[in-house]
Amino acid sequence: MRIRPYFYTLSFLCVTVVLSIAIGSVFIPLTDLGRILLGWLNREPFTEPLKTFAFILTDIRLPRTALILLTGAALGGSGAAYQGLFRNPLADPYLIGVASGAGLGAVLAMSIKWSYSFWGLLAVPVAAFLGALLTVFLVYTLARVGKTIPTTNLILAGVAFGSFATALTTYLMLRSTGELHRAIAWLSGGSSQAGWEPVLAILPFLAIGLGVLLLSGNALNLLQFGDDQAQQMGLPVTRTRTLILLAASLATAAAVSFSGIIGFIGLIVPHVMRLWFGADYRRLLPLSLIGGASSLMLADIIARSVMAPQELPVGIVTALVGAPFFLWVLRRAKNQGFW
Amino acid sequence: MFRKLLFALLVGLLLAGCGPALTATPSPVATQLPATAVPSASVNPSISLTDGLNRSVTLASPAQRVVSLAPSNTEILFSIDAGRQVVGRDETSDYPSEALSLPTVGGYSGYNLEAIVALHPDLVLAGGVNTPELVASLEQLGLTVYYLPNPSTLEEMYANLDTVAGLTGHETESAALVSSLKLRVAAVDAAIAPLSYGPTVYYELDATDPTKPYTAGPGSFVDLLISRAGGINVGASLQGQWAQISLEQLVVANPAIIILGDSAYGETSQKVAARPGWGTLAAVQSGQMFPFDDNLVSRPGPRLVDGLEALAKLLHPGVFK
Repeated sequence: MRIRPYFYTLSFLCVTVVLSIAIGSVFIPLTDLGRILLGWLNREPFTEPLKTFAFILTDIRLPRTALILLTGAALGGSGAAYQGLFRNPLADPYLIGVASGAGLGAVLAMSIKWSYSFWGLLAVPVAAFLGALLTVFLVYTLARVGKTIPTTNLILAGVAFGSFATALTTYLMLRSTGELHRAIAWLSGGSSQAGWEPVLAILPFLAIGLGVLLLSGNALNLLQFGDDQAQQMGLPVTRTRTLILLAASLATAAAVSFSGIIGFIGLIVPHVMRLWFGADYRRLLPLSLIGGASSLMLADIIARSVMAPQELPVGIVTALVGAPFFLWVLRRAKNQGFW
Repeated sequence: MFRKLLFALLVGLLLAGCGPALTATPSPVATQLPATAVPSASVNPSISLTDGLNRSVTLASPAQRVVSLAPSNTEILFSIDAGRQVVGRDETSDYPSEALSLPTVGGYSGYNLEAIVALHPDLVLAGGVNTPELVASLEQLGLTVYYLPNPSTLEEMYANLDTVAGLTGHETESAALVSSLKLRVAAVDAAIAPLSYGPTVYYELDATDPTKPYTAGPGSFVDLLISRAGGINVGASLQGQWAQISLEQLVVANPAIIILGDSAYGETSQKVAARPGWGTLAAVQSGQMFPFDDNLVSRPGPRLVDGLEALAKLLHPGVFK
């Protein structure tokens, strides 16, 4: 079977995007969707119920779809980069503390009563973003030995600092009375803010982070030979690894700041892509980006459909549906020695 | 590979078919309530109030299509006869039973913005359980949102009734309700005042871990109502409204009465008596353990007074019949 990875993944992404726009707690018939599309093209004003439908599309579903798309792409891409960087199948974008740092920042911001204002409303995402970046910086600094950053040190420092931050987060949550629901929802990826502002706010960080990752496929391929050999082949190992690490962390930090901690996408999407389409990072990185976006989109559609009009935190769905799916892919995989 | 794709597509289509068909068309009938339902609307053409987030909220006329995002708000709306103006509720709004027939728009785990918008509300009544982010999102969607803060005293609860009455045009009903509530509270006060004895009370919120269960701490309505009903709350000296008390502390406090606010989750006096180490408590030995409807004291609405009366009856059965 000749594999055409981009064709398959991109068409799957298109299907999920269309489904994400078509499916919601308010049922919009396909014919009405078509009429709205025509109305936009002809710049006609709408009458009810099309007016409400069009408003729901532009102000709720499209921005949500865009945010999910970007978040999924960031998690999938960063996951692939982390796994390549650490040459470890257990690596995910949260390995060196992005999630625990963001969680601590978010819950800390929730424990303070902010005024109802532009900055007050931005407190949680900004605190999460800063918490994540600060954690990565701290872990990186702590793991540094002279001019090198040994992988083991980085992982261990990340795990240790992660436990520390998680313990603080849990303590803050136990102490709070009214914010527990909010904190749990955020930590399981159930945060949803309407409108285009979150999309625009994270877009520049994702563009930088994911842009660097898309260019680093060759470097990651070389790094798979081990640091020494990569160095001999002319790759400035430490500088490259630092750059990729920062880019992936930046993208992940921006992604989680508005959406909350969404687990599992960054871990399994790169694996599935590797199992299906091979381990060449020049292809694996863009494929993981696309795969992350489409799988998170699918999870989000499920999250808002199964209990509608109630919504499940999407992080619960990614693990609940993703884990069995991944095990199925793993069982069927023919090339077991893919690492 | 192609089979996988087909499978995923099928799953997606299946899901699309399963989505609940919530029609978005607002019924034009519902917006034109009989004129009698809107008293004093013409006297005061515009309503402007500052809400619990310090936002200024303006309504051109009393709200006729209200979505309530908290059970206490729903209870307040129905208690002042504004129930007919409610078009949507959150998942946990289950009282009064008329509210159950209203469409839900989600709950704690996630509120559904689409469903709220599709109901065309002219007022969304948010409560203390809702986040400022939710209020901002709704505001951004062009909806009028009023954030009703949680009261911490009965007086503040009365004020909330008046506020909601002002937003919905039911000032007369609210005034009548508040004065009757005040009379009922005064009756309890009057009956308690001459008593010299106040039993110690342990109010149980959650005993998943019976060695350190959760009880109502200072600042909570349970604490306030237990003292108002002539009892001594053993949780009053703890920290936080949801406070953990160790079994050791509980044995020292030795409550005379145990009130099971978690009876809705299956806790019974038999189960309490069977818990290791609980047999020494005075309340267990005398069998003074009572199941209790926690909604009466956890939802800051007019039913708090029902809760006060129910507590007073349990604490002083000789005085209240």
